[in-house]
Amino acid sequence: MSEPQHNGWFEALWPRGALQQKKLNLAPRLESLKGKKVAQLWDDLFKGDVVFEILEQGLRQRFPDIEFVSWREFGNTHGADEKEALKRLPDKLRELGVDAVISGMAC
Amino acid sequence: MLRASAACEKAGFPTSSLTCEGFFKQGKATSIGLGFPNIGLALVPGHIGTKSTEQLRQDILHTTLDEVIKNLTSFDQVGQASQEPHPKAVVARGDFFAINEQFYASGYTDGLPIVPPTQTLIDAFLSYTELEADEVLGVMLPDKRAATVWSVAVNGVMAGCKPQYMPILIALVQAMADPSYGVEHSGNTPGADTLIILNGPIIKELAFNDQQGALRDGFMPNTSIGRFFRLYLRNVAGFHLHKTDKATFGNTWRVVLAENEEVLAEIDWPTIGMDMGFARGENVLTIARYSGGGSLSSVSGSTPEQLLPYLADSIERFNNWQITFTTSHGNGTLRPLAVITPILARSLANAGWSKLRVQEWLFEHARRPAWEFERQLKEWNIRGTWNLTKDAKEGKIPALFLESEDPNRLVPIVWKPSDLMIAVGGDPLRNNAYVFAHNAFLGFPTAKKILLPKNWSERVRSPSQGSA
Repeated sequence: MSEPQHNGWFEALWPRGALQQKKLNLAPRLESLKGKKVAQLWDDLFKGDVVFEILEQGLRQRFPDIEFVSWREFGNTHGADEKEALKRLPDKLRELGVDAVISGMAC
Repeated sequence: MLRASAACEKAGFPTSSLTCEGFFKQGKATSIGLGFPNIGLALVPGHIGTKSTEQLRQDILHTTLDEVIKNLTSFDQVGQASQEPHPKAVVARGDFFAINEQFYASGYTDGLPIVPPTQTLIDAFLSYTELEADEVLGVMLPDKRAATVWSVAVNGVMAGCKPQYMPILIALVQAMADPSYGVEHSGNTPGADTLIILNGPIIKELAFNDQQGALRDGFMPNTSIGRFFRLYLRNVAGFHLHKTDKATFGNTWRVVLAENEEVLAEIDWPTIGMDMGFARGENVLTIARYSGGGSLSSVSGSTPEQLLPYLADSIERFNNWQITFTTSHGNGTLRPLAVITPILARSLANAGWSKLRVQEWLFEHARRPAWEFERQLKEWNIRGTWNLTKDAKEGKIPALFLESEDPNRLVPIVWKPSDLMIAVGGDPLRNNAYVFAHNAFLGFPTAKKILLPKNWSERVRSPSQGSA
């Protein structure tokens, strides 16, 4: 005859931590891309140069007066200098009169 | 990429983030910790790396383009996030197996049984620090949760640590939370795993294995502290497989590497802790993330010139695609690590070679032809637009990478000799070595001093050996 198991009785506490990030509001959206200036941000990975070129062509077909600021203008947004690069971004975008941003590539 | 988008949204610019299919779930999960759970992701079907340009064009024009326009002109409303427990709440009650089932189902464990974290056990851990339980050691992405002393104790209990390991666990979390380490990158696809290197008298005081089998499980402090790291990444930083942790393969956690301090003192070589800026005899913990590597069997020879070519060759070969971090992308943050055994270290030191001289020799010889360096990154890897010559001419990497235009010129894989880190450990009488391939700024070497509580010496008894 087997003996009953004694596996104890426990009250276990939560192993995580309080979330420190509140939900933020996204920036106001554009009514249309017509006549707008769109910046391209790239992390220098996964053929973003090719993707942005194709996207530019597609967007120009739909919005002939759309303008682009190339990823070349901003440099890498991900490498070892990411924190500094992201700090510089808002001022740079304002200086260039940008209305919206396309950011790549997560792969 | 999402962090860049979040920075733009905060500044008032609408964004669309180009996201391959395999990253969509991670993008959604990561965006919560950035404060924008409804940030706009534009789907790129499949993975870019395996498409022809024509296939890519079709996918971008037929799928991604519409999503980009939608992201920039509208957004989805999101509801309130579900309420979480109070940080000190009891979240499970029952016997050992019931607790483990509930914790596993809630995503709190790694799949192995945990020690139920009860108030009594947590208090025992907290008694080994002078810090307050609510003290915040840092805030970690992707979840952006507070890393408190309390949560260190809870996860330490769960990992099977002893209460007296608490000072090490605190230093470990301080290192994780240090911005120079880059904990936010811990879910990247190469699936790199962190190595914890320990220095100081605490190695002997807590009976770490610093001898044969130095990187294998079998000794409680080495193993349980390694496990703690992974549990903390899961529960507090918020890295979960199939969500925020995108390791393509990954590994089980690494056990703590305790350096052989006696041998290092005997040959008067600096420890890793000293290389990181601390003094000999200080208790120091260093972490760095490694995406690969392997062992070298039988490093043979009786002089440094005979022993080191094998090591130099292996450092260069094991750090293969990782040289992307040697370029402007990584800003020279690659720090390969070679662990050599005491017998090898003694042989080098007995020939009069300092650790720095060994590093200098390895720096001169762990090299590859420039054309191979470029082929790896431009043709085989993911950096199609990058150019070694341009990097050097623009001053983004040292001039020694462009001493001539000869494609057969040999270029180093790091910027300076001390970037090649050397630790001493493992079987004292076997002439093997181990080389780790580093993940650079996505897990940069970061060290913290381990602060001991009052009466430490009296409180630390002689713990029993593990699997001796």
